Amino acid sequence: MNDISLSIHDQEFLVLLGPSGCGKTTTMRMVAGLEEPSMGDIFIGSKKVNDELPKDRDVAMVFQNYGLYPHMSVYENIRYPLKVRKVPKSEHEHLVRKTAVKVELGNLLNRRPRELSGGQRQRVALARAIVRAPTVFLMDEPLSNLDAKLRVNMRAELKHLQHELRITTIYVTHDQIEAMTLADRVAVMDNGIISQLDTPERIYNDPDNLFVAGFIGSPSMNLLEGSMEDGKFLHSGFSVKAGFGSNQDVTLGIRPEDLELTSAENTDCSGRVYSFELTGESTLVTVQLADDRLTIRGPNEYRVAIDETVGIRFNPEKCYLFDSESKQRIRS
Amino acid sequence: MRDRYLKYLFVMPAVLVVFTAAIWPLIQSFYMSFREWKLSRSRFSRPLWEYEYDGWENISYLFENYLRAFEDDAMWNAVRVTSTFTVASVVFTIGLALALALLLAPGGRFRFTVRTLLILPFAMSPALIGVSWRFMFQPDFGLFKAFFDVLIPPLADADWLGDPTLALIAVTGSDVWHWTPYLTLVFIGGLANVPRDAQEAAMIDGAPAWMVFRDVTLPSMLPVLAVGVILKTIFSLKMFDQVFMLTNGGPGNATQTLAHFIYFQGFKYYDMGYASAVSYLLVIPMFGLTWLYMRLVFLKK
Amino acid sequence: MSMSNRSRKKLLDFLQFLVILLAAIIILVPIYWIVSGAFKQQVDIFQLKLLFTPTLDNFKIIFKSPYNLFDKLVNSTLVALSTVMITIPLATLAAYSFSRFRMKAEKVMFVTILATQFVPAVVIVLPFFILFRDIGILDTRLALVLVNLSLIMPFAIWMIKGFIDGIPLDTEEAALVDGSGRIQVVLNVVIPMALPGVITAGIFCFILAWNEFLFALIITTNKAVTLPVGLSLFHAEEGVLWHLISAAGIMIMLPMFVLATLIQKHFVQGMTMGAVR
Repeated sequence: MNDISLSIHDQEFLVLLGPSGCGKTTTMRMVAGLEEPSMGDIFIGSKKVNDELPKDRDVAMVFQNYGLYPHMSVYENIRYPLKVRKVPKSEHEHLVRKTAVKVELGNLLNRRPRELSGGQRQRVALARAIVRAPTVFLMDEPLSNLDAKLRVNMRAELKHLQHELRITTIYVTHDQIEAMTLADRVAVMDNGIISQLDTPERIYNDPDNLFVAGFIGSPSMNLLEGSMEDGKFLHSGFSVKAGFGSNQDVTLGIRPEDLELTSAENTDCSGRVYSFELTGESTLVTVQLADDRLTIRGPNEYRVAIDETVGIRFNPEKCYLFDSESKQRIRS
Repeated sequence: MRDRYLKYLFVMPAVLVVFTAAIWPLIQSFYMSFREWKLSRSRFSRPLWEYEYDGWENISYLFENYLRAFEDDAMWNAVRVTSTFTVASVVFTIGLALALALLLAPGGRFRFTVRTLLILPFAMSPALIGVSWRFMFQPDFGLFKAFFDVLIPPLADADWLGDPTLALIAVTGSDVWHWTPYLTLVFIGGLANVPRDAQEAAMIDGAPAWMVFRDVTLPSMLPVLAVGVILKTIFSLKMFDQVFMLTNGGPGNATQTLAHFIYFQGFKYYDMGYASAVSYLLVIPMFGLTWLYMRLVFLKK
Repeated sequence: MSMSNRSRKKLLDFLQFLVILLAAIIILVPIYWIVSGAFKQQVDIFQLKLLFTPTLDNFKIIFKSPYNLFDKLVNSTLVALSTVMITIPLATLAAYSFSRFRMKAEKVMFVTILATQFVPAVVIVLPFFILFRDIGILDTRLALVLVNLSLIMPFAIWMIKGFIDGIPLDTEEAALVDGSGRIQVVLNVVIPMALPGVITAGIFCFILAWNEFLFALIITTNKAVTLPVGLSLFHAEEGVLWHLISAAGIMIMLPMFVLATLIQKHFVQGMTMGAVR
């Protein structure tokens, strides 16, 4: 961890996004009380919680590997927080069952964790977290151990659940699609600092720096190094009208969907096809351009052969310029 | 495939050795327990019961050694001593080992250094342990005398090895000292396999440290603990070396365990038949425990 | 609670430190007692002196007659070494078989082998005593090795099997597919990988054989006496010769401490007694 400062709004779904080792899990564990900050303060509500043990902070956490109690039944697992916090026994049954129904575990209450599938275990972990309606939800890559199809389903479930329960949530993930689909705001983290904190739209459409621009988007944004001269972006082999900026070394970023494939004339530049992929809803074409490769998203009927020469046109409105040295975004 | 024969070939030599070295003597002992064999009197053994002389109605002669054991006060004394010793040593060893494992499991240089010490008591010959403790308990110049002089004066004059109860405590102490560090290492290994996530989940759910231990750590440790208890019990029942060196069964026979009693019968009084019979009485609880151990370890598979 | 959580934690940490320190001291004291006794003169022992002038005389005495500890040392080394040299190869082969193959009556065999470990040593030694006496090899190192095998072999099989179980099958299977015969696989692939485990088991068994007491006590009287039994030589009429027995004790202890420290790392791996899979 290096240095971060973060303020999360009430009932907000905040996602900490970043590659492995960026510090997102550590940050969340500090909020939970499982790790200690070497410097700084953590507040939950208006209460400073630095010295509080996890059990006194009223947070609930869903672990990546679920962290279920292996020797207890599903019922007992969900009930545990109530038992430990001395909620009157008479209410246990009702609360557990209500929560179980909410995550569709109603008929599995007597099973043991080892008898359940990954998706079911994950829902038990979820139920255990929500049964006591904590102040804060913490989720550490809860979907990463599920298979692809289940992950998509659970994403929708989580979003719905959070909206219904209205509990402030901190969600950690390295998967940017999860971040974009679930978050109210995203904190993109890199090497212990927050690179950008914004809504998903602005993270996508208005990245602050090269890291965020390159991290968000699938397939990722194309990045080309070159220089600006008189409003034109100069790269070995071609130039593009990019609008503004003083003369300096820049990196141009443009998303695959903002590039257009044309015939070899009437273009900004051209190159040979390196490979292509049919994804069903579009065709991704990778074109070799001197030393760089560009990925272009084309219509799903578009067909081309490897080594064929194609032309590429840039949408000037969608060009992002970044200072090559500071990596910061240059805005007009 | 050649494997089919090879695998038996691989096992054969070792199995043969075990058979000759361990199983044959077991069978021989069993056979001897039904004969009279006092080496001091004659070179050969003599059957306790023969059909021609005794007839079926006197078949109980066959079991003379066993019946004698049941009437023998010294034997029952040994049973009493062994039981007390076993229960005490198992309880203290397992309890202390678990506590020590919890203390030593976390990382850090200090704990690591202490952990390297744990193997030493196990590497020390139990006979030597007996000598060392006997030395420490010497009434005039032993360590404990100096220790109690300073800390607990009333106990300073106690003659540990001369008092029946204190002597048994001394023997138990030496055995606990011998095994606890080793079991601590085993338990530390067991603790490493407790799911960390579940422990943290319990902390977040609201459980204080002791509750996390009771509800998450302990249930996960149960198999290791159970195996530890069974094995320690077996080792306690077998214990001989320390008793021999520390007290030699004394004072009187206050610390004479069954293993020691059998030794005396066989090699001090040279009553081989009787010694065999009593050993087989000891073998019975051993088999029970072995069966328990096997169930625990093998049924998992 | 008047203390904040932070200072409470510090107090608990300190208490833990004290307890661990206490445990470390308790572990070391009986060992230290012998070590210090070995370097004291007899007079110092009787006076319970804490500060004393150390002497090496005790060691000189025990190697001369009538004690002749050197002979005992030789006996211990030869017996333990022989036992281990016979046991380890046989045990490794058997352990490999138990680990990798399914055999008829496999469980019964393995269980029986283990069960012999749990039998009191006296039961085994009685018949051997008579047999050895009859064929005249009582009080020989050979006899001792034979009896020790009953103790060491099952243990070695169990321990080595534990290590082999922990070695992934991939490399072996790749070698088999490449065309190696089973024996070559064992020699060229398995044994190198299992070597740390086998060595650990070997050293472990050596320690057990070296420290073994009951068998040696009964089988040997004079020529083949090993070090632990040799301790009883120091019971004189006036009482035990503590300074000499301590010196002998060091001969027994220290080599084993060195060996034990060597195998420490690999130690716990096989040592969860099969309970944790």
